[in-house]
This record gives sequence, structure tokens and C-alpha cells, in this order.
Amino acid sequence: MSKLNNGQEPPKIGVYVCHCGGNISDHVDVASVVEQAGGLANVTVARDNSFMCSDPGQELIIEDITSGKVNRIVVASCAPALHETTFRGAIALAGMNPYLYEHANIREQVSWVHHGPGATGKATALVAAAVGKAGELEALEPIRVEAEAHATVLGGGVAGMSAARDLAAQGLRVALVEKSPFLGGQVAQLDKTFPSGEAAGEVLSALAAQVLADQRITVYTCAELSEYSGYVGSFKIKIRRTAPSGADLERLALVKDAQPGTFVPCVGVAAGPGPGEAEEVALVSGAIVLATGFEHYTPPMGEYGYGQMPEVITLPELIRLMADESATGEQLVVNGKTINNLALIHCVGSRQIPGVHQPGPDGKLNQHCSRVCCTATLQAACELREKFPETNVFELYRDIRTYGRGHEDYYLNAGRSGVIFARFTPEAPPVVTQGGEDSALTVTVPDKLLAGQELAIGVDLVVLAVGMEPRDNQALVEKMKLPVGADRFLLEVHPKLRPVELPAAGIYLAGACQAPMDTAEAANAAGAAAAKAGAILSAGFVELDPFVAEVDESKCVGSGACVQACLADEAIEMVDTPASKRARVNPALCMGCGVCVAACEQGAIELSGWTLGQYEAMVDAIVAQALRQGA
Amino acid sequence: MDACAGKYPILILATEDCSYPGANSVGQAHQNYPDNTYIIRTPTPALFPEKFYLDCFAKGVGGIIIMSCGVECPYEGAYPALAKRVNGIYALMKKQGLDIRRLRPTAICTVCNRAFIKEVNLMNQVVAELGAPGSEARAA
Amino acid sequence: MPNGDTQKFDSLVLGGGIAGLAAALDLADAGYRVAVVEQGATIGGKMIRLSKVFPTLDCASCITTSKMAAAAHHPNITLFTMCRLEEAQRVDGQVRARVAQMPRYVDPAKCIGCRQCEYECPVMVPDQEQGGFTARKAIYIPFSNAIPQLALIDREHCMMCGKCSQVCPTGAVDQLQVEQEFVIEADTMVLATGFELMTDFPARAYGNPGLGDNVISSLQMERLLAPHGPYMRALRPGDGKEPESIAFIQCAGSRDLQLGKPYCSRVCCMYAIKQAMLLSGALPLADLTIYYMDIRAFGKNYEQFYNNAKAMGVEFVKAKPIIAGNNQGGSVVLRYEDQEGGSGAKTREHDLVVLSLAMLPAFAPEEIVPVSSATDGFLKVPQPKLAPTLTDMEGVFTCGAAAGPKDIVDSIAEAGAAAMGAAKYLAARRGGQAA
Repeated sequence: MSKLNNGQEPPKIGVYVCHCGGNISDHVDVASVVEQAGGLANVTVARDNSFMCSDPGQELIIEDITSGKVNRIVVASCAPALHETTFRGAIALAGMNPYLYEHANIREQVSWVHHGPGATGKATALVAAAVGKAGELEALEPIRVEAEAHATVLGGGVAGMSAARDLAAQGLRVALVEKSPFLGGQVAQLDKTFPSGEAAGEVLSALAAQVLADQRITVYTCAELSEYSGYVGSFKIKIRRTAPSGADLERLALVKDAQPGTFVPCVGVAAGPGPGEAEEVALVSGAIVLATGFEHYTPPMGEYGYGQMPEVITLPELIRLMADESATGEQLVVNGKTINNLALIHCVGSRQIPGVHQPGPDGKLNQHCSRVCCTATLQAACELREKFPETNVFELYRDIRTYGRGHEDYYLNAGRSGVIFARFTPEAPPVVTQGGEDSALTVTVPDKLLAGQELAIGVDLVVLAVGMEPRDNQALVEKMKLPVGADRFLLEVHPKLRPVELPAAGIYLAGACQAPMDTAEAANAAGAAAAKAGAILSAGFVELDPFVAEVDESKCVGSGACVQACLADEAIEMVDTPASKRARVNPALCMGCGVCVAACEQGAIELSGWTLGQYEAMVDAIVAQALRQGA
Repeated sequence: MDACAGKYPILILATEDCSYPGANSVGQAHQNYPDNTYIIRTPTPALFPEKFYLDCFAKGVGGIIIMSCGVECPYEGAYPALAKRVNGIYALMKKQGLDIRRLRPTAICTVCNRAFIKEVNLMNQVVAELGAPGSEARAA
Repeated sequence: MPNGDTQKFDSLVLGGGIAGLAAALDLADAGYRVAVVEQGATIGGKMIRLSKVFPTLDCASCITTSKMAAAAHHPNITLFTMCRLEEAQRVDGQVRARVAQMPRYVDPAKCIGCRQCEYECPVMVPDQEQGGFTARKAIYIPFSNAIPQLALIDREHCMMCGKCSQVCPTGAVDQLQVEQEFVIEADTMVLATGFELMTDFPARAYGNPGLGDNVISSLQMERLLAPHGPYMRALRPGDGKEPESIAFIQCAGSRDLQLGKPYCSRVCCMYAIKQAMLLSGALPLADLTIYYMDIRAFGKNYEQFYNNAKAMGVEFVKAKPIIAGNNQGGSVVLRYEDQEGGSGAKTREHDLVVLSLAMLPAFAPEEIVPVSSATDGFLKVPQPKLAPTLTDMEGVFTCGAAAGPKDIVDSIAEAGAAAMGAAKYLAARRGGQAA
């Protein structure tokens, strides 16, 4: 069965065979290929040219189209990757739908790999196959989805604020949704950032000021996503805001005159008082950026004595102590106690190993490296040595991972300033015990750098460099059907090809919700996400490839097999028609994988541009040609 | 062995992201392989139903190689779906008396020249040994 | 292109590696017209020359070629290969770049990439694209997936025999081509100039008479492992023997105050682990040893990758060995102190030694572009926290290894951020002009 051209004309196929200046014609008898192609059904024109890709070559095609001789094109030449777009372009130039084109690859897959008479036979068969498919081709149009010039960013930390700022700078309206009453996320807990030493408060205040001043950005604090549906260009979202209570109210009371933009150390940047009572906001958003951040690992009771011994604290706790301006002197003083010796233990809650470490309450281990803690720990060690030169600092580590630009300097400086390093294995970690000679605690550890000799260090404070772990996003993950990796962080489509994208178009990742990162890396990721979102939304519509599934309602019996097979959520749905239930494809959600095609027993669903009928025509042509040669 | 065996066509379903460019890379290296091989481009072989494969054999295709991207498949979930389908096709092939070696799934990347040639030669040997599709059932 | 011609774009991206291409694609997708200026004969940068990439172990070519093709076919992107930036200044609010189009000696409008010239050329030259392990011709296309697929003549080695002209079906060979200068004007510029590996490492670090053929760089090992590599197998270059013992020396030049490269090169731990894993597949019986200072598996899924290598039997020794010489069989003798084993210096022989060499900046902006480099030689970014891609020249951004050693994942993310920076700058300017 042959399809009509735009429903009007029977196929008139033009076949154009390229010599490629001898590359093809040295091994393939082009004249014979042309002659045999000319005898195929539906072929009205068969020509050859030294270089089909050249202007005269393309001119042949354009002339045949404009003079009405042909309405389908087959070019037999090099690999389609090289010139398929060239010939589609020429066809479009002649005013014809560029999808009424099929390519036969007779250089890379014929003349360059086969010599002798077989080459001509195979070239003839491939041309016949292309003609077979061309007879079944239909005009296709790119799928256009209206796009709302609005983006929603979930999470008001550095990544979320950066993304919001960058999206707004591209002219989009932005909703920035933050759970707490404050902007700034985990960075608010820091004192100084590495490697530049900028104060975290200043970094955050500067960024928050840009966000709060931008008319295009609406900040929703005390807010969470409550409803989600739709697709790229048109996500339908509801945001539920709740009145702040408890500790949040106390924190808000710290803000002078409730002035938005005020930085409260260890809390964040104020962004207004929050709603007086619960409210719900409905939004239509073209894209969504997830910037939900991370949480610090909380050591379980007893890990390195944490929770049992008051002298065991975490690195964020130490940073807060040191940020206190009044903390000066020869030695660090904590809770009135002078700290003569201090031990920093790395990789607490990171790089965990099955069988060695205790899983968390969810039964999961943090097998990942938390990336930022080595530098953060060394930064703290350097600052301790500088501020409190009589406090000795020991670093107990597995590997020092100061990978970033300027990070290695902290390691060098720590060594120079007298920080003492000992290396342990996860199987023989440091053991913290109460009491010691002139010290509150004793840390014993076999030091690998001393061939496993056991060190016993009397210390007054143990600081645990706690890792980063994914925030508990379960509700959001379920609502938006987000992919999560084995490490429980949100999972991108591909770390290199599409590093900030999710499989569902229009949803992007920014910052530590994807993996541990430092502030600069989170800002970079946010920029990358905003660039992608901006690119699709700035035009006012999204153009998608036409190669998506299409239902023939006259064949569909409503079995629902395609819905079952479909790999994308909600790309196919069953709708009621006057006759009965029928499948309907949402082209904005269809990935074009065609798994549904194989599932439909009625053959009622096809992938546009790659239909089974086209494939069957190709196989028929190949078999006919091959068996003719074999006979 | 059938003297004409080489002429039973071998169909290669090659993914446009990985294996089809892989086949072109063999061409760019001017490496030779048997000419009874016909490479067909596809977004993913997961779109072909069982019937497509059986029809191909019925039409006279001697062997089919499914060259996919393997686990690097750009369509999340399509590769496992394909793997499942291949098992189903094997069952149907056995029922029809077709040697299952006539269908072979494999992963070929954009520069897997050696693997490509190995797979093609292997299938060519199988087709040479088995002869016309379906003849193995009559022989048995 | 005629001498002195001026072309206008919204953005000029300097460097056609993965970072430059990613930035160009993001800008082009946002509707901006982008010129990609690449010094080499093909785009694709270092990445297209790699075997497989960590931690997913997918084929580097398969990932890079799709980005290369996307850039080549993008209506908003114009590629300028074999083009050297002579000078870029901000003039009248525009980045005005003087660019030298180096001669290919092949007319790009006529060449169809058929390689007939290459087959006929009688001159064999060591092929640096294959680590120098095999030969190429004096007229050649760099490699099979190069973009553009255009031949060029290596005039240093060409003997002007004219065979290429005789066989070229389109008469594309043009020995009379000369360097042409033209101007690109753009509102913004992205410097994505990448890195090179340290080349003067062995002599200065170890004072050896010569390290021999069986000491290779990590990029050479990438070629040995590539599926379309020089030998199509992992053989050692000295004598073509299958190596039974392979060692990796980490921090070869990096984290080394004596060599003046105190910084971490950031990618070497992971690629050494990857190469060891690929070798254990290719040569299941080979002993694989990585001599390291710290294993820095810091990225997403990197630690798990490192653990897999340990489970596969790759040996990790905390030491910084020196190369003491070669034994009679051509193997390399290493002397080292195991920092965790105690008991003084040890000696060990390996059939093949891979140096995980320091990454150095590939571009020195001095006297070309008025941007500063930092003390490490890479481009300076004055706002590393909140605008990590902004340089100290207005409207000029940077990404990838140009701004410090970086792996592919981080380079691509940063490229997105640089594109964002450039797009914001453009939007602000357009807004300003409209007002």
C-alpha cells in the first residue's frame, strides 16, 4: 500500500546515485544501479552525478521537484551523518516536506567495504530498499508545544538562587520555592568559603539581594510543591505555604524589623515573614529546576563517641564555634575547657563500605565520597593553627582529596603550620575513648604512614568531618516520579551528554541534590540548568522531533497494551471516544523509542518516520534483490 | 555446506546512535566483510515485534543481528525490553524449527570495528552452515 | 575567506573541545550566533582522542561525536578550524578578534573527504593522533571521526611529489594557499582553550638518560586502549610485546613543588583507575599497579568505581617512585619507598609504565587577550564562588580545563554556566540597547 503525498499525490520517487568522484564508482557500477533503480515501482526519475552534495548535484533534485517530476527523494551516497541534512535542506529549499527523503549509504557500507561484483549488487539492493521505504514515507511536521515563559525553582540555597537569578536574566518569570522561611540553604551554616576565603554570609547576601530585587522572581518561603502534572512548556504546579511555627518563628524574630535581605548567621537570609496562614498558589510553569540540596550526615549515637561524649562534635559545629568572634587566645576554648589537642576525623558518613560500616536507619550506606569535606576540614585545621597556635591539630584521614583549584594549598599550609596527619583504613578506624593522660579523650589509631604502628593521642576535642547525604525527598520523588540513583541522589540522564537533565523534558537538576558539590560547583550546575531551561522557553514554544508514536484510531481496539509497554510516564493514555476506549499519544512526553509499536497486536500504533510498513518494504526489497543475485 | 549460502541475506538492525555509525567506522577503515549484509537504521530495535523477525526468516533472510547500544541505550528501559523480547523470539523460533543462532543481539559502539566484523563473520558462518532459513527443521 | 574580511557573531568560543562545543551548543540553542574558533584541524579536543571515559566506561568517541555533529550541523554555529587567535581586544563595546586562517593546502570547498590523496601519498610520518605509535601520511584527515572531514597537508614532511593532486577527484589540493587573516566581531567571548599534558617531565624530574619506549604518557595509553587504536590491542610500544605487568605513576608533575606544579591535576586518579580496569579486561593476566599519593575519587560514583578496581585486583601502592632505568628485556625499573610498608627503598620492574602527567594550560593569554592568568598558569576567575566562569575582561567567560584542571563532567557543567554567563551578558546588552 502506498501512501499519498500529503494525502494528494501517489509517490513519484526520484533516485540520485553519487559517484563520489570514484569513491563509489570505482567499485560500484553506478550506471547499472541507476538503470535498475529506474525499473523499480514508483520511480519516475533515476540519475547519477559525480558529487551529489555539490551545488549542481543538489540542483538536480531541486529542479526535478519544482518541475513536478518527483515528490519523494532517495539519494545514494556516503553515510547519512555527512549529508542527510544537506539533502533534506535542498528538498526544503524546493518547497517540499524534508521528511519525504530516504538515504542509501553506498559508500561507507558498500564501496569502502566490498569490492567486486557483489558491491554493485548490494548497492542496488540498498537503493531498492530506500525506494521501498520512500514509497511509504509521509510528510512530517515538528511537534510544537506552547511554552509558558515561567520557570519554577525548588530550593532556595545557592544553587536555587543562582538558577532563579539566571533564569530571570533571560527574561523568564520565576517562582523560587523554599521550604524554610530563609534563603541560603546549607551555605548559611558556613563561616568562610574555600578557596577564596570569602565570608559565606557575604556571598549569600549578595546573591539573595539580586534575587530579592529582581521583579521577575517571586520568592515563596515556607513553601512546598503540593501538586504536579503536565509536561515541558506547561507544568501545572501547586505550591502549599504554611505559616511558620516553632523554631522558625524564633529565627524570624532574630531578623531586625523583619527586613528581607538581612543575613542571620547560621540561619540564612530573611525573605519576608512568611504567610500568616496556610495558602495554596497555582502556577503554570514551562520548566522546573530542582535545587533541593543535601543534608549533613548525622552520626548515630556512639559513632566515634558522638552523642555519648560531649567532647565529640561535628565539623559544622566546630565551624560555628570558631565563627564566634569572642573565640581568641593561644588555645581554643570550648565550653570553658581549654583544648590542647584536637583530632579531626575524615570520612565520617562517607566512603562507607558494606560489611565494615553500619547502615543508616534506612538500611543504606553512603558509599560515595562527599567531595567537599577534605578541603573544609583542612581549612578549619589551618584556621585553628593560625588563630590558636597552642592548640595542636591531628588529622586522621583515608585519602586527602583536595582536588579543586586552590584546594591543595590548604593541604600544604596545614602541613607547614604543624598539623599532624595519620592515615587509617576503614577496617581499622580511629577509636575514641574517654579519659587519658592530661586529656579528656584518647584516640587510638593504627597509622598506615608508620607501617600500621598504633598511635594513642590524648585529645580534648574530636571533630567529625561529616559527609553530605541526599535530603529526604521521598514525597517529591514520588509526586514527580524522579529518578534516583543507587547513591540516593537524584539521577541525571547521562553524566556527560545530559548532565543537568532528567528523562522528562523540561526538568533540570542544580546543585547538591544531584551529588555532593561545593558552592562554586553548585553555582555552575545552576547556570547550566538555567541555560538549558532558558533555551527551550525563550522562544515561547518548544519544538520537538516528529519521530514519536502515533495511533491509528481506526485500528486501535483499546487493549491498553501500548500503555503497559510505554517506558515514559503518561506518554500514552486511554481516552473515551464515541466508539470505545482508544489510545492517545502525548507527543510532548513520548521519547520515540517505539516499544509500544512492538506491543500492539493490531499494528495500530506506529513510530512516525520509522513505521513497520516502511521496514517491511525495505526487507522485501533487500530479499528480492539478494535472492535474485543468489539464483 | 550450501555453496550458495553466502547469498542468504543477513539483516543488521543497527541503532542510529551507536551501531550504525559503528558500521560506518568500519567503512572508513576500509575493512572488508561479507557483502550479503544489509544494515538498516533504527532508533531502537525495541520497536520490532516478534512477528517482524519471524516474517523476515519466512521471506528468506538467513540471519539477523540486532546491534544495539547495549546498556548505553539512550532510551531508558528500552534495552531491557529488547532483551526480554529476544527471549520471546527465541521461543517462537524453536517452535518453528529455526535455529536460534540465526538471531543474535549484540552491542556495537561507534568505533567497535573489530567487534562489528567479528559479529558479521560469525553470523555468516552460521548462515553458511544452516543454509536456507527453515531448512534446519526439514533436515531434523 | 578573503584577507581582512570581518564577520559578526553574538559570541566567539575559542576552543572546539568538549567544553567549547558544549558552551557553543547552549548559546546556539538559546538563539545566539556563535563562532567556534579551533586551532587544530578538527574539533573534538582531547575527549575525542580518549578510549572510554570514567565512571560509566562508555566510549568517548560515541559521546563526543554526537556533540561534534550537533555543533557542525547547528544553524547558529559556524566552525573555524585551523584558525589561530592572533589578538582579541574590546573595541567599541565589541570583542574584536584577529584570527589567522592557517593553510590546509586543500580547498575546503572542494575536498569531499574521500582520502584518495591519503592513500596515494608516499610519505609516512609518525601519527601523533595515535600516540606516535603508527604512521600517517603527509596529506591526511586527522582521524576517522574528525569534523570537518577535510584533508590537510603537513608541509613540514610533504615532498611535493604531486601524487595527491593527480588522484584528487575534485582538484582540491592547493599548494599555493597562504595564511589569511580575518576579523571576528562578537559581543562576548568564551575561552575554552583546554589543557596539554606536561611534556618536559622525565628529564627534569629524574635526570634519566632517557626513559625508553616503554614509559608512556597517559594520553598515549588512551590510544593503546582505544578500540580504533594503533595496534588494535594493548601492546607495549618498545617491542610489541604483550605487557605482563603495567604500572601507573600518579602525580607525575602534579602536586610537586619542585616542578612548580603544586596543584592537583584532578583527573589522573580516575583515568589511571579506568585504564587499569580496561587493561584488566584486555590483558586478564597482567599485574596492574597504581603508585599514588592520595586516591582522589571525589565525583559522582567515582568512589564506587575505585572500589570496583580494587575488587578486580588492581594493586594500589602509596609511593612516588622514580624510574631507575631499563632492564635487559626492556622493562622499566622503578625505585620507591612504600609509605605504608616501611623498611626502606624497594625496587620493582614493570613491562610498561604509564605516567599520569600533570595538566598544564594550553593557552597563554599574554599579548593576545587582556585576561589574567593566576599563579598556576590557568585563567584567573576573580569571583570563584558565585561567578566561577567570569574572567577579568568584560564579557569574556571561561570554562573547562582553561580555568584549571577538570574532568569531562565538570567541564560540561561549567560550559553550561559559561554559556549562561555569556547569554546573560548578551541579554543585558540587548535590553540596554533597546531602552
